[in-house]
Amino acid sequence: MLRRLAVVALVVTACSAPTADITGGTDLPTITVEEFTSHLNALDRPAVVNVWASWCLPCRSEAPLLAEASKTYGGRIEFIGVDVQDSQPDARQFLAEFGLDFDHFFDRDRAIPNHYGGIGTPITIFFGPQGELFALHNGVLDERTLALNIDEILQLGA
Amino acid sequence: MEFSLLWAALTAVAAAWLGLRIWDEHLPDRPMDHLIAAVVIGLVAGRLVAMIGDGVNPLTHPADIVIVRGGVETVAASVAFIAALVWGARKTPGAVDAMAPAVLLGVAGWHAGCVWRDTCLGTPSDLPWAWAQTGSLVTRHPVELYAAVGLVVGAIVVSRVGWRLWARAGVALGVAAGIRLITEPLRPSLSGGPVLWYTAGILIGAVAAAAGPRFAGSSANHST
Repeated sequence: MLRRLAVVALVVTACSAPTADITGGTDLPTITVEEFTSHLNALDRPAVVNVWASWCLPCRSEAPLLAEASKTYGGRIEFIGVDVQDSQPDARQFLAEFGLDFDHFFDRDRAIPNHYGGIGTPITIFFGPQGELFALHNGVLDERTLALNIDEILQLGA
Repeated sequence: MEFSLLWAALTAVAAAWLGLRIWDEHLPDRPMDHLIAAVVIGLVAGRLVAMIGDGVNPLTHPADIVIVRGGVETVAASVAFIAALVWGARKTPGAVDAMAPAVLLGVAGWHAGCVWRDTCLGTPSDLPWAWAQTGSLVTRHPVELYAAVGLVVGAIVVSRVGWRLWARAGVALGVAAGIRLITEPLRPSLSGGPVLWYTAGILIGAVAAAAGPRFAGSSANHST
């Protein structure tokens, strides 16, 4: 029995991605609510804003989905990450691990999610092309919710 | 706690329970226990495969396993569910066939549970019964309700299939996979959905329904 468990553990470990080794990198820029809303308004295209933290387990689950979506829709939608209540080194490690290569901001005090009425972490907020709030999703994302709301904000911009 | 997911799960359990009350011939002892055990095994297997696929190590992040909403690999979950159901009822020949219509009804309940989760909608549509999600003017197909209706009809059809070992189970698998395949183009998706696996499910179901009795021998056949 123990041998079987050891084999299963070995297989599971081998199948999982290695942890990224982050020794350097630059800090995420900090941003205020005012700066953030100005940034959104200036985009002139829809935006998906994901509020995350490196310590947040559900954020790990949805990160690959966001990475895939940003690769598919990155040309038509702005993907933005907002890292809350986190440390810069942990944030860099998280981003490198999941390959979330869109813009991220550092919001230690959670001012941005609080401004939009979000609860907990993660939160995903969908904005229209003029920076208007379309939908706010509290909690971990599933593919359907993400795809549906992406379709909605793309139609707002059409 | 994700209560909407819980309500959807309870809807599925209630539908399966109703199915077992309606189609109660040849059932094994405590059929609901068999079903729920198989569902739990399927969920865990599907979640583990999804985590590994996403690069999250289940050993270093065991708490992630319970975050079902983070993603469950449908194919792995379905295979594990079927395997667990067959294994659990292995001492009662024909038990899986007997439970097959109720399983379809349970899956229909899960799809209908989209009303609790607000996840019924699919691609845009101008049909009279299409509706829009909150804050939107874009009306959409209630694709999960289409699937639920299809599965209820499928359950009734499966319950009429004659008693031969694996016949009802095979047809049920084919019906479930076929309805997912038909409705998949109406679902919002980033990846297009596992349509090849649904096709494989239809073929495996057809083979099981056609070839099962031959492997099992005539002594395993039932009569009503």
